[in-house]
Amino acid sequence: MNDKERAELENLALQKVAEVSSAIDAARHVDEVICALHSLAALIFSVDSSLVSGAVDQRFKDQILSAKCATDSERGSFRNNFYYGSAFPTMARLLLFEVAPNWLTQFPKSVRSQIYDQFFLEGPSIGVLEELIPILNKKGSDKDPVHDKICSSVERLLVLCYLKKEGIRQMVIEFDLVEKQKGVAVKKDDKNSVSRVAQLLASIPDKIRPQASSKLSSFSFFKEATIQLIAGAEEKSMQLPSVCDTIEKDSPQNYAIFFVGETFSRIIRRGSTDIVVSEMVPRIYDLVKSLLLSYSNASLPSVMESTPKFWFWLYLVETMRDQYSIERLAEGILRQLASRAVTDTEAYWILWLLFNRSYNHTGTIRAMFVDKFILWKVFPVSCLRWILQYSIFEVAPTMEGHVKWQKPPHFVDTLQHLVTIWSKREFVQSSSVEQQAYLTAAVGLCLEKMSKQELETAKDVLSLILQGVSCRLESPIDLVRKMASAIALTFSKAVDPKNPLYLDDNHSDVVDWEFEVLTQKKVIITTSSRKQFINKPKTPLQEKSRENLGDKEAQKSILIEEISDKGVEEDEKDHDSDSSSDTSLEPYDLSDDDSDLNKTFTQLADIVAALRKPDDPDGVERALDAVEKLVRASPDELHHNSSDIVRALVHVRCADVAAEGEEESSEEKRHKALVSLLVTCPFESLDVVTKLLYSSSVDISQRILIIDVMTEAALELSETKIITKEQQRKGNLITSTSQPWFRPGDRGPVGAGPWREVSGPGTSMLQNWSHQYERELPSRPGQRKLGKTRKWSAANSKDLQQEWSKNRFPMYAAAFMLPAMQGFDKKRHGVDLLNRDFVVLGKLIYMLGVCMKCIAMHPEASALAPALLDMIRSRDVSHHPEAYVRRSVLFAASCILVALHPSYVASALIEGNQDISTGLEWIRIYSLHVAESDPDTECASMAMNCLQLHSEIALETSRALESADRMKAQSRTLPSKLDNIIIPFANMN
Amino acid sequence: MASARPPPDPVAVLRGHRAAVMDVSFHPSRSLLFSGASDGELRVWDTVRNRTIFSTWAHIGAAGVYSVATNAALGNRVISQGRDGSCKCWEIEEAGLSRKPLFTIRTNSYHFCKVSLTKTPKSVQTDGGDSTEVVNIMALPGEDPSQVELWDLTAVKRVMSLPQSSNSNLAGQTSNQRGMCMAIQAFYTSETQVLNLLSGYEDGSMLWWDFRRPEAPVSSVKFHSEAVLSVAIDNICNGGISGGADNKIFMFSLDQQKSICTVRKEIELERPGIAGAAIRPDNKIAASAGWDHRLRVYNYRKGNALALLKYHSGSSNAVTFSDDCRQMASCSEDTTVALWELYPPKDRI
Repeated sequence: MNDKERAELENLALQKVAEVSSAIDAARHVDEVICALHSLAALIFSVDSSLVSGAVDQRFKDQILSAKCATDSERGSFRNNFYYGSAFPTMARLLLFEVAPNWLTQFPKSVRSQIYDQFFLEGPSIGVLEELIPILNKKGSDKDPVHDKICSSVERLLVLCYLKKEGIRQMVIEFDLVEKQKGVAVKKDDKNSVSRVAQLLASIPDKIRPQASSKLSSFSFFKEATIQLIAGAEEKSMQLPSVCDTIEKDSPQNYAIFFVGETFSRIIRRGSTDIVVSEMVPRIYDLVKSLLLSYSNASLPSVMESTPKFWFWLYLVETMRDQYSIERLAEGILRQLASRAVTDTEAYWILWLLFNRSYNHTGTIRAMFVDKFILWKVFPVSCLRWILQYSIFEVAPTMEGHVKWQKPPHFVDTLQHLVTIWSKREFVQSSSVEQQAYLTAAVGLCLEKMSKQELETAKDVLSLILQGVSCRLESPIDLVRKMASAIALTFSKAVDPKNPLYLDDNHSDVVDWEFEVLTQKKVIITTSSRKQFINKPKTPLQEKSRENLGDKEAQKSILIEEISDKGVEEDEKDHDSDSSSDTSLEPYDLSDDDSDLNKTFTQLADIVAALRKPDDPDGVERALDAVEKLVRASPDELHHNSSDIVRALVHVRCADVAAEGEEESSEEKRHKALVSLLVTCPFESLDVVTKLLYSSSVDISQRILIIDVMTEAALELSETKIITKEQQRKGNLITSTSQPWFRPGDRGPVGAGPWREVSGPGTSMLQNWSHQYERELPSRPGQRKLGKTRKWSAANSKDLQQEWSKNRFPMYAAAFMLPAMQGFDKKRHGVDLLNRDFVVLGKLIYMLGVCMKCIAMHPEASALAPALLDMIRSRDVSHHPEAYVRRSVLFAASCILVALHPSYVASALIEGNQDISTGLEWIRIYSLHVAESDPDTECASMAMNCLQLHSEIALETSRALESADRMKAQSRTLPSKLDNIIIPFANMN
Repeated sequence: MASARPPPDPVAVLRGHRAAVMDVSFHPSRSLLFSGASDGELRVWDTVRNRTIFSTWAHIGAAGVYSVATNAALGNRVISQGRDGSCKCWEIEEAGLSRKPLFTIRTNSYHFCKVSLTKTPKSVQTDGGDSTEVVNIMALPGEDPSQVELWDLTAVKRVMSLPQSSNSNLAGQTSNQRGMCMAIQAFYTSETQVLNLLSGYEDGSMLWWDFRRPEAPVSSVKFHSEAVLSVAIDNICNGGISGGADNKIFMFSLDQQKSICTVRKEIELERPGIAGAAIRPDNKIAASAGWDHRLRVYNYRKGNALALLKYHSGSSNAVTFSDDCRQMASCSEDTTVALWELYPPKDRI
């Protein structure tokens, strides 16, 4: 076929289209349109003319039946020219813009499919797509019925061509056909057009109208598209030349895979990674699994490279150009594999299959695995193992264990890189717990592969690990310390497998790298667990070696044996000696303990004296035993002695005094004794305690002790634990459905009616802050009805307030808080709260928060809140690098929110008291900031809580302000004389 | 031991003293108990009704009554020893004690040793009426606390002091080494009915004196490593029990022919300090009063422990048995006197 012929044919096709066009323009009746379309259709594809003719009038029937039907060969050449020339685009436009809006609705269904749909179905999928999609782009007004009809027709065609008829799969195959019909399809020979088609395909769900078929919605469309793309590509790769390395990356032969890759990256860019991954993974998994059954690890790469079935997968990632979508794809695959419980070997080979070609050639892919997936992302631990296995160990996991494994050259460098980051204090401070656990696990898993010699030769690794472990061990967060001990254990095992180092009491030989945060399920940390955590008294790092523990147990068992031996001896003696008489002298229980002997302290002065004698540990211990009881008895002289006792107790060294293993109990006694002192005579004791808090004569543990003791004393003085308080508080909040605090309680006789608010009587001048309520009460037996209801008002419901007045803490609150807040930011000899002793600072702020909570709803709260706000607002505190301190700040902030009575806030606002209002605003801004950007998840969730509390108090305050405004407004309308005279129940009768 | 019963509680606790009770003693025949406290008060208790029936300030002074002693030979009288350097003998009347002591002995001694009345062996007692022949002797340390003085209570005069001051030089030296006399028990030997005496000293040694040969002790033993605090002799005067400031109790036997004192049983305690010891007249059980507040009861024959009585909340000072073997009394720093009934003798039930 030469050019001339082709030009003729093309002209002919155009001519035909023009005829049809004019016929349709002139048509008055739908049958005329059908006739015109049929005449063209019959030239291009076989039409069931009888089916068409059955649906039209008699006079057109003959015309249709008599229409000339082309032979198959004629049809083939005409069709080629029709579809690959300019005729089809013209015809498509004609069909869509003329026929679809004006006539198509009148077509019978069978006719529509025969001579309308068929034009698109027979055409090349790519060309059709290029015609259809731009139409959807055109903006028509929403109510335009013409545009609406066009669009619905296009959408219907899309479903037909690409979903029902698997047009997408066809497209994949067609990219190669382009080659075969060289010269005809000029524009498809460069990669840009391939990606343009991919773009069109992926954009379908964006362009359809909202009311379009649900099959075109992004979820189902992308799912279907992915399936078809994979099927097409697999089919296609079977046709590729037999040696896969000969395929040039940029050759048109590769366009099919390139197209699939491009489409995938566009789908991924649109956020549907999961859909792609969930279709890909099962297929690859099955492929790899079937291979693993029959081949060994060593032969797998060559098998994969020589099997056409795998080629598509081998090349897919390489052809993808979009780095971001590769990353998302890899991440999605890893997570999907983790959820499918795939074995390590299978996972390794899946990764190998997908990424190996690009991993070896492309730096960015390597960086993605080694850098991004280890340092920036957080995967489940199983994924981490695969990532390490694939990208760092670079060897398939084997069951045999100790097969000689040649470490890849950059293994040590990578480890060093990881350890360098891991050991940094900034990393510990600023990254989230999950991130830390993840990197710790990575370092630990790498260390497991190291031998002693390698560790010694690798420069810096040893010192960096020591540095990282030690800076973690100082952390107040338990989990962080656990990470340090896990690494220490792994490291010691690598150095000397027989002599593992346990820094933890409850250790096990196998390290759990998940650290309870890297599990599959996302653990939601509840507020209650937070409280437990923050309430836990911190004992600075108890390090006990296993040897010690073992010895102790051994001693115990020896003791038991000795005792039982004695018993036997006595028995024997009894039997040996003459039993002539004295048989009645049966011994009583001879067991003895010296518990009663120790309660010898009866004077406070004796206790002080005993506590000050560190050389008499027994005396100190007995004094510790006795002191709490004596103090609780609160004898008259306590006020004179309390400061001495407090000082002595703070300075006593329990660890030196107590027998081994009983340090805890004596610490506890000291703790309790101090609490009892603070509770029984607060002012005298607090005077000493707060002075000692910043004194250079005490160490960190004593400072922490002081703060803990103050916290507990505050709780005890307030006589209600935080939890119960919170429940009470919850009654006021909008989150709870229970009745508001100002309502009288539900108590009362059975059968009492619900409370109703009494509307302001008559002049409504009584309707102010004191709400009034009434309810029906059943008459008591024998009660005479007086014809009145009993009345309650907020002023009467004193018993509700009674519960609060039991709180003894408010009168001491200032003594607790103000001295402790003074000078926290000063650096003195041995005192450096802001930097070195941040644990103390955190505890201190926590204590202040608890104090705040204990004076919740009391007037003292509004007096003390500004001072506390001042403290936590200082930049050094609120933006402290340690998460521990920030948590405390958030805790204190939420305590302030809980503690302030809305009416105080309202009055502060009315009076223009800046301290409170700016402080509360600061809390809001600060919490917002933390919730958005803090690396510590705990902090973020606490900040969210804080925000919620803030909004609640804001709501309550606005209510209070409203009622105040209303009252003001009402009082203004009152006649001035009545202002002074308020007649209660003026309209009662 | 699995079958063991819990130790019994006292059957009665006599309260009323306002200071540490230093010593208790049962009346030999009537149901009366005498107790002396460190504030100088001497009380008479009715052990049936468990009431105080009489009280007197017997010895005024810093340390009060130190010891109370009764004895069958003494009859209806009671001796009280005080740390005011005197011993007083009181007549027991219907309504309590005589208003004034029958006699007062100025001993001028201010030490820690309790007086001892002479113990008569059971056989001699039961032999009958010639007990008046026996001189009623009371032993106590003298002005020189290393010396033991013997007083004739009928004549109210000092009979002898051991070791004798005449040959003082040598004996004095040795006695100085022994230190103060801390415990005395005088007794008559069962066969010869000669007055013998055991005395314990600060250094832990014990001397056995024979009244007939006062120039030197017949035997000298040293069981204890620290001061001997209490010595008790059984009712046939063939053995006894001793407690000291160390953590041991010794049961010993006295061979009167050979004049040898040998250890029969050595009992080691968890905590040191036995302030008082006593043997029940039927020689079945012995008891000790410890600084560790506890009373310990032993099978006197076999020496095995029978009970550990924890009632007192202060150091126990003395323990004694009634002559009818039915009751035991203990006294303590905690100002109480406790009455116990342990292993009551069968024949009397």
